[in-house]
Amino acid sequence: MITIALSKGRLAEQALDILEKAGYDVSAGREKSRKLILEDEKAGLRFIMAKPADVPTYVEYGAADLGVVGKDTLLEEGRDLYEVIDLGYGKCRMCVCGPAELKDKLDTIPNKRVVTKYPNITRHYFEDIKKESVEIIKLHGSVELGPLIGLSEVIVDIVESGRTLYENGLDVLETVADISARVVVNRVSMQMKADEIKPMIAKIREQLAKQEV
Amino acid sequence: MSNNKFYTPDGFTDQLPEVCAFKREAENKLRNVFIGNGYREIETPGVEYCDIYTSTDLVNAESLYKFCDQKGRLLCARYDGTVPAVRFATNLLKDEPLPLRLFYVENMYRFNQTGGGKQNGFTQGGVEFMGAEGSEADGEVISIAIESALAIGIKDLQISIGQVRFFEGLACQLGLSEEDRILIKNAIQQKDSVMIENTARKAGLDARDTETLMMLIECQGGYEVIEQFRARVTDPEALKALDGLKDILDIMDEYGYLKYITVDLGLIGVENYYTGIIFKGYTYEVGFPIIGGGRYDNVAELFGRKMEAVGFSMSLTLAITALMRQGLELKKEQASVIVGYDRAVKGARAKAIALAKALREEYTSVILDSSGMSEEELDQYSDLNNIPATFYVNEGEES
Repeated sequence: MITIALSKGRLAEQALDILEKAGYDVSAGREKSRKLILEDEKAGLRFIMAKPADVPTYVEYGAADLGVVGKDTLLEEGRDLYEVIDLGYGKCRMCVCGPAELKDKLDTIPNKRVVTKYPNITRHYFEDIKKESVEIIKLHGSVELGPLIGLSEVIVDIVESGRTLYENGLDVLETVADISARVVVNRVSMQMKADEIKPMIAKIREQLAKQEV
Repeated sequence: MSNNKFYTPDGFTDQLPEVCAFKREAENKLRNVFIGNGYREIETPGVEYCDIYTSTDLVNAESLYKFCDQKGRLLCARYDGTVPAVRFATNLLKDEPLPLRLFYVENMYRFNQTGGGKQNGFTQGGVEFMGAEGSEADGEVISIAIESALAIGIKDLQISIGQVRFFEGLACQLGLSEEDRILIKNAIQQKDSVMIENTARKAGLDARDTETLMMLIECQGGYEVIEQFRARVTDPEALKALDGLKDILDIMDEYGYLKYITVDLGLIGVENYYTGIIFKGYTYEVGFPIIGGGRYDNVAELFGRKMEAVGFSMSLTLAITALMRQGLELKKEQASVIVGYDRAVKGARAKAIALAKALREEYTSVILDSSGMSEEELDQYSDLNNIPATFYVNEGEES
């Protein structure tokens, strides 16, 4: 029995699609119900429907053997996991954004204030990579408001199409990381359940290679 | 005014009597294994100068529980067993002939960076074998690690063994730059194949060499894995590492422990003080390894004595969690026997005392009730507390 933690929503649907194409019976995972654990003993699969930010935690602690989650969540949570496959979908970028006139001038502002939903990613980027200290202000949504109402100079957030940004007079200033959906595996499960997990990884990789062609 | 007087601090737990009893038993089983192999127990104070960890760059300062002594010097709670043992061996035992075989069973304290819920205080038992080098010494320590896990009742055990020098040698052979080497090392730890491929391409490696790097995350097994890699490497350091691993497999075979062993050359270790073999032990039902160990030939030198060393530690706390989740039934009984007496009867107490003393010769735990329970109350109490046998003395001395 392999326990798989999925991020509720579109990411879960896409993960189930790939598993199905790779030859697994995922009907349990598609069951429309409010159950949080969906189990199919015959197929040897159990799905946990979790909040995306919690998926790495379930997998790190071994409550789930395997998980599918966005790279943004992995970077923010910083868990000790195996990150085995880049599924290639859910593609977007983690960016520093701000008023368009700041383009190429970001480094000229000292003691920046940064509004973000991702304080750990932000801290790592500014402190470890850009070697500067910033004031991080955590918000839970609509972080674009930050520079608009003077709460901060810039934001760090996910950019997909960029429409929300442009409509609010903001622009991408720097790219922090490329984001897409990843398959993660618990470090012990990879050893103790190698007979089930390794073939699954191989089949998913095969399927991805086929789709690319 | 404190609001926290009812609670244990984050990351720490109290142990119920039945868990504690099982843990003590397990600790003693570990001691027996270690002593049986000729290791001697040491006790370190549990409070150290931070310098033993930080001035040697062995542990991040952020991971230590820190406080000050009266002179303002920075102290910390014992973070691990190895570094205090090395300090001990390089000072107190500096005139003893090598090799030294030492062990400890103690509590460790650390801020776990990986997140809440994980224990910050836990018990480890481990050995340090100092002043001996080579695969035979490595084999001795790995065999003790296996015996320790078996002794406390872990049945599903897997030990993965790697060799840090293999990757160093391979990196040398492939001519990887320092930067690429670190990138690939991190990617191997994450089993991140995309990162390996990208870095290999950037470094201009050919298909076969890229495949060799990918094998590090994909190939685990027995002798065959060693041979697969042998066919692909030319670096003398890497070849020597493979020879060493093969020797260890031979030794494990002679012990009858080969079935527990997996060779995993992708096991590189985040701890940068390992200089040779490195191994981890896994079982079901806990998401973290219960055993960790390896060879650390350069640590003692930081304390002024050149001395090769190899060791391991087992987290008893994690191992017991695993055993309980695997269905271990803890003994709930409070005692084997309870003896009561009628206070109103002259001489009953003297008889009860004599009886309890006699019973204690045979049973490990005998309660002599001094709270004045009646026969009925005594029966009720022993039922509630799973005490199998009850005696009630209501006769006095014969007149």
